[in-house]
Amino acid sequence: MAEIGPKFFKEVKQISRDDILLRISHQKSMQSVYVGSSDAKIYSVDPMADKPEFHEFKGHTSYVMGLVDTEKHLVSGSYDRSLIWWDKESREIVRRVEDAHDRWIRNMFLSPDGQTVLSVGDDMVCKLWDAESGELVRELVSHQKITPNHFPNMLYATAVSPDGNLIATVDRIAKIKIWDFKTGEEVTEFEAPKCYTWDPKKRIHSIGGIRSVCFSPDSKSVAVGGIGPIGNIDHLESPGRVEIFNVASGEKTHEFEGDKKVIGLVEQIVFHPSGKWLMAVGGKHTGWVQFLDLEKKEVIRQFDVPMHVHQVAVTDDFSTVYGAGHGKLIVWSMVN
Amino acid sequence: MTLQKSFSRRRFLGQSTLAGAGAAASVMSLDILKSEAFSKQLKQKGKRVLLLWLAGGVSQLETFDPKPGRLTGGPFQAIQTAVPGVEISELMPKMAMRLKHTAIIRSLNTKIGDHGGGSRLMHLGRRDEPNLSYPDMGSVMARELGRLDSKVPDYVTFYTATEGRGNAVGHPGFLGSRYAPMFLTTDNKPQNLRRLETISDLDHRERADLRRVLSARFSQGRVSPVLGSHNVAYGRVRGLMSSEALFDITREPKSIQDKYGPTLFAQQTLVARRLIEAGTPFVKVSRAWWDSHGQNFETHLEMVTELDHVMSTLLDDLQERGLLEDTLVITLSEFGRTPTINGSLGRDHFARAWSATLSGCGIRGGTVFGSTDEDGQHVKDGEVGAAELFATIYAAVGIDPHHEYYVGSRPVPLVDVGTEVISEVLA
Amino acid sequence: MRLSQSIILLALGFVPLSMVHGETLIQDVVDSLLDAKMQQVNITAAPVADDYNILRRTTLDLIGRIPTSAEVDRYVTSEDSDKREQMVDQLLQSPAYQKHLAYDLNLLLSPAGNNELQSYLELAVTQRRGWDQMFRAMLLGDYEDELERQAMKFVKLRVKDLDNLTNATSSLFFGVNISCAKCHDHPLVIEWTQAHFYGMKSFFNRLFENGDFVGEREYGALKYQTTDGEQLDAQMMFLSGKAIEEPQWTSPDAEKQKAEKKQLEQLAKDKQPVPVPQYSRRAQLLDIALRGDDRSYFSKSIVNRLWYRTFGYGLVMPLDQMHPSNPASHPKLLDFLAQDMSDHGYDLTRLIRGLVLTQAYARSSRYDGETRPPQMWFAVANVKPLTPQQYAAALLFGARNPSQFVSEDVVKAQAEIDSVHAQARTLAVKFDVPSDEFQVSVDEALLFSNDAALEKDLLANREDRLIGELMILSTDAEVVATASKSIMNRPVTKQEQRVMMKYLKHRKDRREAAVIQLVWALLTSSEVRFNY
Repeated sequence: MAEIGPKFFKEVKQISRDDILLRISHQKSMQSVYVGSSDAKIYSVDPMADKPEFHEFKGHTSYVMGLVDTEKHLVSGSYDRSLIWWDKESREIVRRVEDAHDRWIRNMFLSPDGQTVLSVGDDMVCKLWDAESGELVRELVSHQKITPNHFPNMLYATAVSPDGNLIATVDRIAKIKIWDFKTGEEVTEFEAPKCYTWDPKKRIHSIGGIRSVCFSPDSKSVAVGGIGPIGNIDHLESPGRVEIFNVASGEKTHEFEGDKKVIGLVEQIVFHPSGKWLMAVGGKHTGWVQFLDLEKKEVIRQFDVPMHVHQVAVTDDFSTVYGAGHGKLIVWSMVN
Repeated sequence: MTLQKSFSRRRFLGQSTLAGAGAAASVMSLDILKSEAFSKQLKQKGKRVLLLWLAGGVSQLETFDPKPGRLTGGPFQAIQTAVPGVEISELMPKMAMRLKHTAIIRSLNTKIGDHGGGSRLMHLGRRDEPNLSYPDMGSVMARELGRLDSKVPDYVTFYTATEGRGNAVGHPGFLGSRYAPMFLTTDNKPQNLRRLETISDLDHRERADLRRVLSARFSQGRVSPVLGSHNVAYGRVRGLMSSEALFDITREPKSIQDKYGPTLFAQQTLVARRLIEAGTPFVKVSRAWWDSHGQNFETHLEMVTELDHVMSTLLDDLQERGLLEDTLVITLSEFGRTPTINGSLGRDHFARAWSATLSGCGIRGGTVFGSTDEDGQHVKDGEVGAAELFATIYAAVGIDPHHEYYVGSRPVPLVDVGTEVISEVLA
Repeated sequence: MRLSQSIILLALGFVPLSMVHGETLIQDVVDSLLDAKMQQVNITAAPVADDYNILRRTTLDLIGRIPTSAEVDRYVTSEDSDKREQMVDQLLQSPAYQKHLAYDLNLLLSPAGNNELQSYLELAVTQRRGWDQMFRAMLLGDYEDELERQAMKFVKLRVKDLDNLTNATSSLFFGVNISCAKCHDHPLVIEWTQAHFYGMKSFFNRLFENGDFVGEREYGALKYQTTDGEQLDAQMMFLSGKAIEEPQWTSPDAEKQKAEKKQLEQLAKDKQPVPVPQYSRRAQLLDIALRGDDRSYFSKSIVNRLWYRTFGYGLVMPLDQMHPSNPASHPKLLDFLAQDMSDHGYDLTRLIRGLVLTQAYARSSRYDGETRPPQMWFAVANVKPLTPQQYAAALLFGARNPSQFVSEDVVKAQAEIDSVHAQARTLAVKFDVPSDEFQVSVDEALLFSNDAALEKDLLANREDRLIGELMILSTDAEVVATASKSIMNRPVTKQEQRVMMKYLKHRKDRREAAVIQLVWALLTSSEVRFNY
């Protein structure tokens, strides 16, 4: 049996592009992926093919920021504020919800049972949609629209716990809210203030925010990612950080503050099914992938990668990682 | 004081003449009467300028020259405005409704891509020369539009953020310290405007007179610009003290304060409006710091939202008070930002094709001058530089851009010889 | 006398009296050449300033404060024929001279508002190190030497921005501002091209920060892009256009790089300096700048700056535009002084002494003729704004009880002087550093007019303050005379006396306030604000 693990992480394919690939979803049981681009299109592609072909899904008019692969459809969300249900074969639009959010859609998530699609946008609302019918099921409204410094807030990401009971949402001012999936009630709130830098003196604006959130496999913890406090907020000049909270108590159980090898934003966190380690990806001008040991609470490995990684899709057995990022689509293997 | 001022003016400025465009021959003629009458006219009309200095380089692509659908366009879309055929960024919905007051210039190519050099160019309107110290726009406006005996300051600048403050040049150069700005940094009002209780008003005045008399004796036979500036500075004290109330926004009705909003930029713009209303000919409100090398879209989401609101509120406010037709509102930076987006989702410095706007006095609102190519990488037509922009600004408030000062016996035109105004944006 | 000097002098057709005695005095050469030029352009010089003026001016320029009333009396009443020279030498020997020169050098060499080089400069000046030695220490100082370690701050403060380091070095040490030539050939000066800018930057491109130290690699090229879009490799080139061939080098492979990185991290951890490479590009710059013909950039630049500091106007203006299209007002004089500098170990004090002993330096700043001559002829002394340090000292000393500085115990009196002088540093932060087109801001006038803290300190009615002393004097005439002497360092004129006594007379009902206001008017008068 082949060994799989962080220490075997290596690049196996790199495809250069003119655009920025922001979102990626792995087509189960196939080698291909869907990627959402800054050129407003979605593409399905088999990256490992000799001459990978990018098949277009045309319909959005701005950055594609959400991509979930449901049983029946591919569902996407965009800065154009709309959600689109696509027929995966014909690549045609089945349903479009214009003005799905009042402001820019930042991210999406598919509930573990595949029945609900979640979307978050800068209207600060997390919306739950029936995956098949597209009907709006519920709205989670609580994140404040204006920051304490009187600027617009942003709602960056959402996740559902593997047991399907809880939803987490994370925002610009580093607040994490936990909601009950069934009732939509806000259960608790905690924060990771180091992920948000407000500069009142030098540049008088902010940077940062929690960009990524993921529940642990046992649903008891939630990990959030962002960037540490920054001195010069013109640049992403601080190490990417990951903080882990116990959901029930709201207590922070650990933080990985990062170091100069991982300067930039943690754009996404993926737990290994065992719950023993996780993978955090991101970057600034270029990127990195790091593996963090949750038992020993230390860094396993850090790798420089040639692009700022925006999102990854990982096969169930963790053997292959598909990465969407700035100007590239990269495939990594974790197999010996 | 009057005696000394006219003495130093004669020394350093000679007589100024008004020459028509390109009329080099008339440069040497001294048309004193005409220039005095002309200046008087201008001053009576009370033109003013409010410069919103967007320090650090605001992105033209996220404001006034969006490129929707292009890879360089970023995630924000373009929206229709009140002017048919003109679109601006969706980050500016309020300005979109009010664009009839505003002219957008999209075709600036100023070639200097560093903060210091770019700022200097966009404050002076021209490159430096080693042996001549040019005045900045504010000093020129203070001189041409201000009143000698004015009780209000004639040149005020706000710059609270520490980043880039040193680049925001405010110096009168050869015009003399009379036109130096009141530079507000830590506070929204100048410090030391109030007389101490330990001295009566009479003594405060006469103490200053004594100082002046003693200094006047010293100044005899010792001509120097810097020496002159010392006495000019003291000469302005009493006048400035009486303008203290202008800087106090709590004197505005709460509804107005709320309309502008709670941010520092909003508050300073409101103070600027008060100063303008009281007759200050030039106020600069700096909003720093736009230099989004990383996270350009997040930063502009934040700051353009604020700019949109503050600028709209300001234009509405000026209009309601009947001031907009006499006030020129400018948005300007040291350069724009690259169409190419870097890995941190940032944009870098870009002086090759960027935008500025002019609203109000003397401006043909609702116009767009110049254009950039589909990706915003180059100017497509109507390329202009700092000289043309400055010439247009001066013309908008009724100052002849080809007006000449004299430094010693050397004529120094207000803008470089041969520069043409952008007549398409002038009313 | 050195051969080089005689050659220059004979070429000028000039044989000063002092040469007969075997020693050319800087002051004689300067005066002769300045006078000759003035004759040529038909300009009459201003008369010599009086003793009060000369004492105040020299004291401010050399030690950064005004003279005390006792010092004024001593100087003015002395009948020694060489009293001026004695006074200068006495000032030059005082610790205050060293501090003041170091302060001015720090203003020049450190980024704005920073005084990290101050302590190095004080020590270097005290030890009378040559400017070339200081240059070496500041650019490539030996970290094993405690003094040179501090000097390296010059580079350390700028190492994160090598363009800045290049511009600063070129401007401050060679009198050449080439920053414009970075993006394109210099718009105004044909001689400075991009190749020059990047040529100079090449001397620095291998520098990096490692913990508390500056390190230099043994490899690394500097690339740049021309306005035509061409990518070029920069070659080390000095401002004169002289390029430097360097031995072949190779970039280390990944293994070596890793090892190097590890080594550097360890050095930083251990707080140890990075060893200087076998071949140092910085050393090449020092070599070319200080040896051979090209060293005229270095010597002329420091001469020009010291001249500017003394006279308030340079032989070349602006100070950082020393290029062929901008010649000196007195080229032969500049040549002579540069050669003298170079021949005498770049001794700053030697030149300063020579300059302040010239006739030109002793001229009045007042010109009653029709047109004031242009500054470039040095026919009239310049009115120079005081630096923050000088102005603070002038205020503090002026506002002190003059008897504080008088004592039979000379040590005690000096201690008092030193104490007040030290306090000037704190007050100095309230004032702007004069720049080229300096104009006093209205903020300063408002500060003096309405600031409580300032008034409280300077104008307190206390025994150690001037006000305290004035309040116990019997007549208004005495009050006026004492105040004037203390603050303006000279006797009051009849006209001034009249005006001031009238002011006091009208305020009999509020005597203390009147005296305070009088002192205020004197302290804030233009005469105190400037060196003249």
